[in-house]
Order: sequence, then C-alpha cells, then structure tokens
Amino acid sequence: MQRNYIHIALLMVFVLFLNSCKEEEYALPSPKSGLNNDVIKRSIGPNLAGQNLEFAYAMAIPDAEGKIVSARVEATIAGASGTYMEKRSFYTNSSGVDVGIQVADTAITEGNATVVNFTRDTCAATLRYFYKIPDEAKGKEVTFTFSATASNGKTATYKMGPYTVAKMDMALDLAVTNNANCYISIENMAVYNATDAALNADKIDLVYLYRNITGITFGHALMAPATSAEYLDGLVLPAGVSNDAQIKKVWALRDRHLARLQYGVYVDDMDFQKLSLEGSPNYALNLKAESGIWLETANKNYRAYVYVNAVNANGSARISIKRYLVN
Amino acid sequence: MEDKLMKNKNLKYIAMKKFLKISFALILVLFTGTQCSKDFPVDGDGLLITERAECYVSNFELLGSDFQTVRTKNAVIDTTAQTVNVEVFYGTDLKNLYPQFSLVTDAKLDPKIIGKVDFSDLATPKLWTVISGNRKVKKDYTVYITVQPKP
Repeated sequence: MQRNYIHIALLMVFVLFLNSCKEEEYALPSPKSGLNNDVIKRSIGPNLAGQNLEFAYAMAIPDAEGKIVSARVEATIAGASGTYMEKRSFYTNSSGVDVGIQVADTAITEGNATVVNFTRDTCAATLRYFYKIPDEAKGKEVTFTFSATASNGKTATYKMGPYTVAKMDMALDLAVTNNANCYISIENMAVYNATDAALNADKIDLVYLYRNITGITFGHALMAPATSAEYLDGLVLPAGVSNDAQIKKVWALRDRHLARLQYGVYVDDMDFQKLSLEGSPNYALNLKAESGIWLETANKNYRAYVYVNAVNANGSARISIKRYLVN
Repeated sequence: MEDKLMKNKNLKYIAMKKFLKISFALILVLFTGTQCSKDFPVDGDGLLITERAECYVSNFELLGSDFQTVRTKNAVIDTTAQTVNVEVFYGTDLKNLYPQFSLVTDAKLDPKIIGKVDFSDLATPKLWTVISGNRKVKKDYTVYITVQPKP
C-alpha cells in the first residue's frame, strides 16, 4: 500500500516537471493588416472654456499596403480660434523626450473639422490635436471623431467623448495693491482702482488690504466692502461700494489651473454646486501665498474660489480666480 | 511467524493512538491557556472601560475653517481649576472653530466633538466633561477664549 503511494507521488512530480519544462519560442508579432488608429486624451482636470483639450492621435498601416494620406478631427462643437492639429508626428526617444518630425502641411480648421494632409511618405504617425474650448460650449458636452485615410482608400475612425465642459470661468494673475488697485469684482473678474471701482460700484465684491500692525497678525486680507469698519482699518471706500459676501478661508487648496504647481488638484463645477458658506464671515485676514478663500456674493449669483499665488511684504499680491455662475 | 507480525502491527497502532491523544490534549491545554487573558468591558461608545481613574486634559488645539491653528501661543491648561485658556489671532472667525482635546489615556470627552463649534459668545464659555478610563471620575473643563487685542 505504502509503495503504491510512493509510486503515485513520483508520477505526479514527473507530470509536474513535464509541464514546467515546456518552452515557448518567441515569435515576432505580426502587424494587424489594414489601417488602424488609436487615441489618448493627454489633458487632465476639468474642461474649461479658453483651455485646450489635448489628444494624441496615432494611425498606422503596414508598409506594403500603402501610406497615410490625411488625418481629420471633427468636434460636435466648433473649437475656438487656436484649435489645431500638429503637423509633426511625435515619438519618445530613449531619454524620454518627445521628438517631433514634420509629416504634413499646416492643419486647416474649417467649422467643426480640422484636417492635415500628409506630405511625407509615412505609414505610421502620431499627431497631437489641440481643441481650444469655446465659450459657447460651457455646460455642454463635446464629442470628437478622429479619422485617417490611407493611399489605398481605406479609412479608420475613432470616437472620443463625450466630455462635459465646465460652466465656471477663470482669471489668472490679477495684481492687487494696497490702497490702490484693491477693488475686486467677481462678476467682471477684474481689479479696479478707487476711480474705476466707483464706476462699477455694484459689482465690487472684495477689497484687498494689507496692514502691518504691531501686536496683531493682520497681513494680507480679502474682505467684503460691507465688513465692519474695524477690519477695513481706516480705508475709505469709493462711493456706492458696499456689497456684502460670505468668505471662508482655505489653506493649501492649490488648484492646478490657478496655481500652475505640481499638485493634481482641481476645483470643479461640483465643488461650487456643493459649497455651503452658511454662517461664514465677510472677511479673511492673514492670507499667505498658496492659501485662498471660498466666496459667495451677497446676491447669491456667483460663487468663487480666489487663490493667492503670491504675496509681497510691500503690500501687494497676485491672485487668480475661478468663478461659477449660480443663477 | 504471522501471529508475531500481527502483534507488532497492533502494538504500533496502539502507540500511534496514544501519541495522537496526548498531542490533542496538549493543544487543548495551550488553547485554553491563551483564552484566559482578562477581558475589559466596553461602554456605549464601544470604548474599553479600564481601571484608570486619571481624568484630565493634557493638550488643547483650536483650528480655524482652513484647519490651521488660530492660537497665538500654547493653550494654558489648569487641571486643578479645570480650565483651558486660549488666545486667538485678531480677526479669528469664532463661529467656525474646530477644538481638539488630548486626554489622559483611556479617558473620553462629553459631549463629543463632531464638527465645528461656535465660540462667538465669549461671555458664555464652552464646557466639556472629561470622563476617566474607569468611567467613575468626571471633571468639567471650561474653555475660555480671548481674542488678540488690536493696539
């Protein structure tokens, strides 16, 4: 009996060895026949009007079957001025650097379509496509159809999307200075001096202030014109500037669009939709670089995120704004 | 000859059986031994009720809406008077603050802090009760806030 067990065990080990010793010989993969294509989306984060949606469109056909003649991209909403397709095909070299080689004429964009016609005899190329998001696409969805045509008359197509375009707007690098260009309009996404602020009095939602007061920490501040005179600290507001707002201080919310730093964090429409500033004050003192504020205007028309890009001890700062129209 | 072989086989079988019985008994004893550690009861919050009677606040932090400290300096904790005194920066939004208590081991706080706390009524300071690990000692701590004065 015991001997039988030993025999069975040996047999199993033998079978196991036979299995593991099977060697598969490497064979070069054979390319797909016909014209093939593929697309990846290179840009990340919310799709903002004025920003680019970037794609890399790859197309290839076996050398024996022909060459690529043209590539075309059609968007469901026409791109803004600045929409184009690269005339260079990119590959990544051994150092990880993208190298471009011209393969086509300059792209022609007409209406919703962008076309490039190849000038170099090529059977494989990767072209970048940059779709500049137009204002009219805000809150809508946009879809793209990529297609390539080969000299043998074959075509290949690839659909991408739909992508929802954010409703929010953005203004970058607004310079504010203490007691001068210190009146900020969220509606206009602009900074005014006292004279211009008086002309846009009903649209001024924020005042920038810098105070270096011994014994307290005041520093750089953003406040609604309607805040108490104590926090305005002697600043005389232009006639008619009296809007209120609700403000909440935030630290280290370094939105990538606004901060343009390495952090992959984005403020999106949904953040504004879910924002609740109930019970928040109408001022924020001691703001530092890379901090910010959430804000809602008194008429509840706008919600905004104001990011502080930089502050200077001489009483100036650089801010960037994302704004969401609620109503 | 055959009888002798049979006898040997039986003896081996009996010895094996005995060995298994002893091993099983030994494992059972070891298993019972590990189960003998004392089990502490738990309270309504699922926290262990231990034998510790110490009951005090060891540290206090106060964060603003941006989750940064609003203290100008360390909080002063008086474990005899059962008070916490904190000075906050000028212009601190007192309605939206997040207090954080550090307590002695096994103690707990009542009421629980589950979000922001409104400290704006400075005339009526907030009060929390620290409950010791054995849940038999309770001490009320009052948190006094003062705002950095503007010169």
